[in-house]
Amino acid sequence: MNARPPSEILHWRWPLLLMLALAACTSNGGLDLNGVFNTVKTVQQAVKPANLQEEEQIGYATASTLLGAAKPIDNPAVQDYVNKVGLWVAMHSSRPDLPWHFAVVDSNDIDAFAVPGGYVFVTRGLLLHMRSEAELAGALGHEISHVVLKQQLKALQKAAQLDLVGEVAQVELRQHGQNTQLFNSVANATRNLYSKGLDKQDEFEADRMGVVLAARAGYDPYGLVAVLQTLETVDPKSSSVQLLLATHPTPAARVARLSAEMTAGHMQRYGHQVEGVERYRQMIAKLVAAPATS
Amino acid sequence: MKRWGLILLALLVTVMAAHAASQSGAQTILQTPLNNAPYSDAAPVAQLPAGTNLTILERQGGWYHVRLDNGQDGWLQMTSIRMNGGGNTSNSGSGWGFGWLASLFESGRSGATGVTATTGVRGLNSGDIANAKPDPQATNEISTWAATPQQARQFAQQLGLKSEQVSYLPQTSGAQP
Repeated sequence: MNARPPSEILHWRWPLLLMLALAACTSNGGLDLNGVFNTVKTVQQAVKPANLQEEEQIGYATASTLLGAAKPIDNPAVQDYVNKVGLWVAMHSSRPDLPWHFAVVDSNDIDAFAVPGGYVFVTRGLLLHMRSEAELAGALGHEISHVVLKQQLKALQKAAQLDLVGEVAQVELRQHGQNTQLFNSVANATRNLYSKGLDKQDEFEADRMGVVLAARAGYDPYGLVAVLQTLETVDPKSSSVQLLLATHPTPAARVARLSAEMTAGHMQRYGHQVEGVERYRQMIAKLVAAPATS
Repeated sequence: MKRWGLILLALLVTVMAAHAASQSGAQTILQTPLNNAPYSDAAPVAQLPAGTNLTILERQGGWYHVRLDNGQDGWLQMTSIRMNGGGNTSNSGSGWGFGWLASLFESGRSGATGVTATTGVRGLNSGDIANAKPDPQATNEISTWAATPQQARQFAQQLGLKSEQVSYLPQTSGAQP
């Protein structure tokens, strides 16, 4: 896998510190050790791996930015359903105790998003293109895996740090307990990351872990393969898959790779597990009935 | 009012069930045996050439239960077929799902801002993300829908879901797209 080596982060730290020291000397007409110390502290906080509180702060900013692009749908029954399925799958991951939040967002385009700190968003369009709870569990398993593997977190941190280099001389602003400088940096990084996507290898890795989480939760793990096969049937020129295809490997490549890995891992033995077609259909009926009856 | 909603709901479920079962065209993409059961060591009932048209009846694990145009049915590995739809005039994807219902959400709705969208189609493209204005209020709102582990366990039990010990999968080498 393309793990980002920590050395990559450490390398630029020392020249930066030197620059900061020089900046402190010139701006005040003398050496402001206290200023240097505070600035260095800020930079060091930015480069180290995020602790849980920091991950939640980054996740809050990222979630808020994405929800700015697509609002949660006003359908408590459907939101409740997706939260229960999602949490049940997440409870079978290595981070069962994160504050997991799932939400269906108002778009007919087909997509899903994983956000640091335990947020997972799926579009209404994706829900409408699936046929069973096992398929939903597979898709959510893929997103939960992104969170568990901290793939977006690492990418956002890296991008937000680069922003901090430019903003490092600024005074840290705090309002209502929120670090607004962090919030704005992360919002910028989010706009960039989620419109361009992760490393393709991260997507394959999330597929591979996602089916295992679905199987652990008692679902037929081939649900995710079925979702990807459905995506193959959508015209790639359709606007409904523009963002998904711009940010992920092709569905065909994912199906080929994932099914080979599932065969190698003897996943057939879980193929008889729960599919949940009927309960899923009832949820879709509630999703569809809401705008008609309100 | 509420009763009409329920009747409409029941009607929708019926229509959806019929629709979901009726549209599931697919083709084999390679020569493949048609088995009498969803196992690789099951008895083959036919040998299908690539390009055989078929209808998907159901899926079980990595296998599709299919019916051929001549009425014969059997089981195929899911990777041996491709569902119809890609590049066709319909851009909502395979009919074996509820994608056709998306049109219900495409006219005369009010947006979250209270302004009725003129096109009625709510997309989400890279430009929407690149220009997104953060909405922390929405993030606060979704936390009200969070489930508790107890609720999730109960929900799983209702469907007969049981936790299993499953190892992570090994990465296949050299399978670059």
